[in-house]
Amino acid sequence: MKWLIFSLALLTSAFTPAYAYEWAGIAPDTLNGEYEQRIYNYNKRWQKLIPTHTVIQYAGSIGTVSLGTGWDYGKHNQWETTVMLGYLPKFHSDNNKITFTLKQNYTPWSLPLKHGQLTVEPLTCGLLLNTILSDEFWVEEPDRYPKGYYGFSTRIRAHLFVGQRLIHHLNGKDKKRKSITAYYELNTCDFYLVSLITNPDYLKLTDILHLGFGIKMQIF
Amino acid sequence: MSYSNRTKGILLSTLLTIASCDMIEYHPYDARIEGMTHINSRNIVRIEESLQGAETFRFAFITDTQRWYDETEDVVQAINRRTDIDFVIHGGDLTDFGATKELLWQRDILNGLKMPYVCLIGNHDCLGTGEEVFNKVFGDPNFSFTAGDVHFVCLNTNALEYDYSEPVPDFKFIHHERDSFPQAAKRTLFAMHTKPGDEQFNNNVAEIFQYILHTFPTPLCCIYGHGHKLAADNLYGDGLMYYQCSNIKDRKYMIFTINKEGYEYEVVDF
Repeated sequence: MKWLIFSLALLTSAFTPAYAYEWAGIAPDTLNGEYEQRIYNYNKRWQKLIPTHTVIQYAGSIGTVSLGTGWDYGKHNQWETTVMLGYLPKFHSDNNKITFTLKQNYTPWSLPLKHGQLTVEPLTCGLLLNTILSDEFWVEEPDRYPKGYYGFSTRIRAHLFVGQRLIHHLNGKDKKRKSITAYYELNTCDFYLVSLITNPDYLKLTDILHLGFGIKMQIF
Repeated sequence: MSYSNRTKGILLSTLLTIASCDMIEYHPYDARIEGMTHINSRNIVRIEESLQGAETFRFAFITDTQRWYDETEDVVQAINRRTDIDFVIHGGDLTDFGATKELLWQRDILNGLKMPYVCLIGNHDCLGTGEEVFNKVFGDPNFSFTAGDVHFVCLNTNALEYDYSEPVPDFKFIHHERDSFPQAAKRTLFAMHTKPGDEQFNNNVAEIFQYILHTFPTPLCCIYGHGHKLAADNLYGDGLMYYQCSNIKDRKYMIFTINKEGYEYEVVDF
């Protein structure tokens, strides 16, 4: 539950129109004295915590539809951390479920195309941790089990993913966003990967790779 | 914006390819089931019809096949090569994590058996949404069927997984099986995933459980899995034998031959 509140708060803050650089209210060249400089630096530090993008994703093993927000950083914004909430309908299980995802993305190359309006990112890759927010699943076995009975968690899954992206730069045409990115990703989770290695005859790579599609909106 | 027919064609075929290779997964525990369901009840009809009135028949017992897909494929081929097996019983633990795809992969492999088969639920199959998926794909955790004159009572004994939320073993079911024993049957064989005395079993009722098994017409023996090794024990010293089959990784399965005199069993390496 506390995860849910935390991530909802993050999502809300991300979808609120935030013109981060206006928050400080002053431009650096108009600063007078030490106090204003301090306030400026103070604001600037906190501004780094404001999410820089929002995402919506379909499938990808973290829910049917996931909403998220996160931060782009690094010299060429090649690093990206996103937190997401996913909705998983019950299908043949008893309850609908909400999932929480922490996703770390690395994009080594950006190739500009067509007068700089479009950019292709031929490879994105990374790791994500997903947890189902439901008591049916556990991180550690409940006390009723002998210690180390299963030796794994049913609640937290680690996934590896690779994908590609196409970025459309908006050049101020859209007042809300800087760019829109369409992406797809192929992912697999921890025990699928181990199963592939231990079952080379039955399992094929395509059996354990799963698709996800998404749209990322760059706020600033 | 306009798209040429060719572009539309490419887009459409890409989408169809994606849909057909089943690469969309919402979650490892998404409980999305495609393909055959209610397998136990379908196969029970086949077993009961083909063995009606039979005095001699033979079944194979395999168990604990979780995440050993290659070995499971091999045992299916090994059993198919024989012509003397009437049906197969799986003792449970088809999955390791209780994940949906794990169970469906096992189902797809086992569907390669030429003869009908039934699956019991194992403790691993209960994890996450595993139990809900198992119930849909295979059927109720407690079930029974009659082959020849033997009534097979298949019991969910994974009490630790249910933590008192449901009665395990379910004495209401067991009593009902005994009190409405089929007329065609004269003897009883019990199958379960874990034996009395195991940490999964509700051991507070282990002796009562054993006592009630003896109230069934001519109990032949009990078969079970879970321990990943072969065992044959007269558990309570009362003559009712418990046979444990090893996990499929050990590349072994058991054959039980039922005849007028009783039963014989053998362990087969594959």
